[in-house]
Amino acid sequence: MKYRKLVFALAASVLATTATAATVKIGALYPFSGGLALLGQESFRGLELAVNERNAAGGINGDKIEIVKVDAVDPNQAVSGAKQLVADKVAAIFGSYASGLAYAASPVAELAGVPYFELGATAHKITTRGYKYLFRSNPNTETFGDAVVSALDKTIAPGMGLDKKDVRIGIIHEDGPYGTDVAATEEKRAKALGYTVVQKLPYSAKSVDLSSLILRLKGDKANVVLQTSYQNDTVLYFRQAKEANFNPTVVIGAGGGYSLVDTAKAVGSDINGVFNLDFPQISINPKGAPGLEKFLAEYKSTYNGTPQSGHSLANYVGAKAFLDAMAKAGSLDKDKIRDAVLAYQVPVGQTANGWGFKFDKDGQNVASSLYLMQWQDGDLKTIAPKDLSQAQPVFKK
Amino acid sequence: MDIFFQLLVNGLLLGGVYAIISLGLTLIFGVVRVVNFAHGEFLMVGMYLVYLMSIHLGVHPYVALVPVVIILFALGAFMQKVVIEPLLDAGEEIQIFATVGVSILLMNLALVVFGADVFRAHVTVGTGSLAVGPLSLVTGQIFTFVVAIILAILLHLFMHRTYLGRALRAVAQHRYAAMLMGVNVKSVYVVAFGLGTAFVGVAAGLLSPQYPVFPTVGTYFVLTAFVIVVLGGMGNLYGAVAGSLIIGVVDTMAGYYISPDLKEVVYFGVFLLILILRPSGLFGLGTD
Repeated sequence: MKYRKLVFALAASVLATTATAATVKIGALYPFSGGLALLGQESFRGLELAVNERNAAGGINGDKIEIVKVDAVDPNQAVSGAKQLVADKVAAIFGSYASGLAYAASPVAELAGVPYFELGATAHKITTRGYKYLFRSNPNTETFGDAVVSALDKTIAPGMGLDKKDVRIGIIHEDGPYGTDVAATEEKRAKALGYTVVQKLPYSAKSVDLSSLILRLKGDKANVVLQTSYQNDTVLYFRQAKEANFNPTVVIGAGGGYSLVDTAKAVGSDINGVFNLDFPQISINPKGAPGLEKFLAEYKSTYNGTPQSGHSLANYVGAKAFLDAMAKAGSLDKDKIRDAVLAYQVPVGQTANGWGFKFDKDGQNVASSLYLMQWQDGDLKTIAPKDLSQAQPVFKK
Repeated sequence: MDIFFQLLVNGLLLGGVYAIISLGLTLIFGVVRVVNFAHGEFLMVGMYLVYLMSIHLGVHPYVALVPVVIILFALGAFMQKVVIEPLLDAGEEIQIFATVGVSILLMNLALVVFGADVFRAHVTVGTGSLAVGPLSLVTGQIFTFVVAIILAILLHLFMHRTYLGRALRAVAQHRYAAMLMGVNVKSVYVVAFGLGTAFVGVAAGLLSPQYPVFPTVGTYFVLTAFVIVVLGGMGNLYGAVAGSLIIGVVDTMAGYYISPDLKEVVYFGVFLLILILRPSGLFGLGTD
């Protein structure tokens, strides 16, 4: 341990003396390998594109931005990675895609007084610890739960001709922090709006059998199913629901497996008509998202392909905003950065994914939101908000 | 009452799925005396092979099963020869670490080659349901269950009526004595390991219409398989079948009557209880 610190101190001092005149170092803490690598890598690309764009326009107040990448495969590595970045004297840490990683790494940054900009992790508890230098650009699990129930209440139930008193909601979720948080808010909000929640059932994401759970939903005549799940359990649910002849009128997912094309392919045609709430996808209407087409063009020329999910876009939009705030701060002092971020405001509809920016005292951006989507013909189409939608919802009665 | 019978049926059929995997695992443990932590990853490899064959050659997983069984037998035999054999006289922990190493290698190899996404071969045979009175049964699961019973019977006949089978049992009972009787222990180990992984190949083919494949799919099944193998008595084939059925039924019953997220608590609880009462598992000591 001591040896490692010595090596880093030496490396840092060498870097400091040999670095070109004006660079600002920022840390990128993401899972670049391991099970989360697919979307960790995708998320990082959003940050990288934002940094490239900023550098091409002169950097932060004339200083070029340099990214220091650190791999965080699991929470332990996230902690040691954050320590590494702090020792490397980065001006700020950007990350981290997964809630477990963000939750573990952010205390390290907070203790060291290094601003931590979260661009993708959703667990609500990340920003409820009273930290001063932790900021998040994306919506959290509390927003997720609210968004799902609001969509049901405002758009889906009326569209399906379902009266509030006839709605029987079954909430099923994977039992990790993601599923538990979202489901808790879904239940709270649904009850507050006067809906009947007949079941709230957690299950392990590693289940190979959900038949009992489905029997309970069926037995309680749930006609609206709200699921929060990853890929495998989503596929499992749809297959076993079909096998048990369980056909709820409405199924709404909350991101996770519900947003991925591979899940849809594995489920098959039963996915059509299913609703989902998640971060903006790249297929949103560019009219409501100025800068989206520029982002897609930059992505194509840098990585020779198209984004696999909405993660890179979310990270790009968030990173751009934070880099902007850092520039406005006029200094790398943590308190000046904090003031600049808290004062930073952008109206909704002016960024590449339509998000606005307004931070509350916990550092959470309250002007970011989740969009309502529906699977139609094996494709995930955005239904709402109106300026960003590219399809009408299909209500199969 | 309908629900109870539906749960019972679901549980037994789920047990059929676990039975094939557990039979292979218990065979390897019973004869070779190695805890094969890579067992789940062989299932994963089998499922990827089945998936690739069904996508590129258009064959149904039940048909693709045949070449996959042969390939997995060869893989298991290879693993025994190359990884385990050199370590036979080392401590058990070393052998376990070797199998864990193979497990990590295979999982990450799959991650590199296929990526982390899920893939599923869409087939119509094996995914339909059959209505028997008020109960609904999945045809694929019924088929799996039937195959599991047939395999268990075939294995029993093999172990008791053929020379090779008797040699396997002899080695399981006492390695040195078997050697003295002229049994080529090294060949027996290779056959046993190969046979164990061949069983997993059968499971891979039968599971493919039901479950998608991804690099960590093996871990979803293998932990329960270990529980079943210990519950039934390590090395005991009837124990593996009985244990699978018990765990399957406890799983579905607990999932319904208690809560889906407490299923494991219940069946681990049952497991602990049985071990306290019968420490060597339901069917007694190692051999059958």
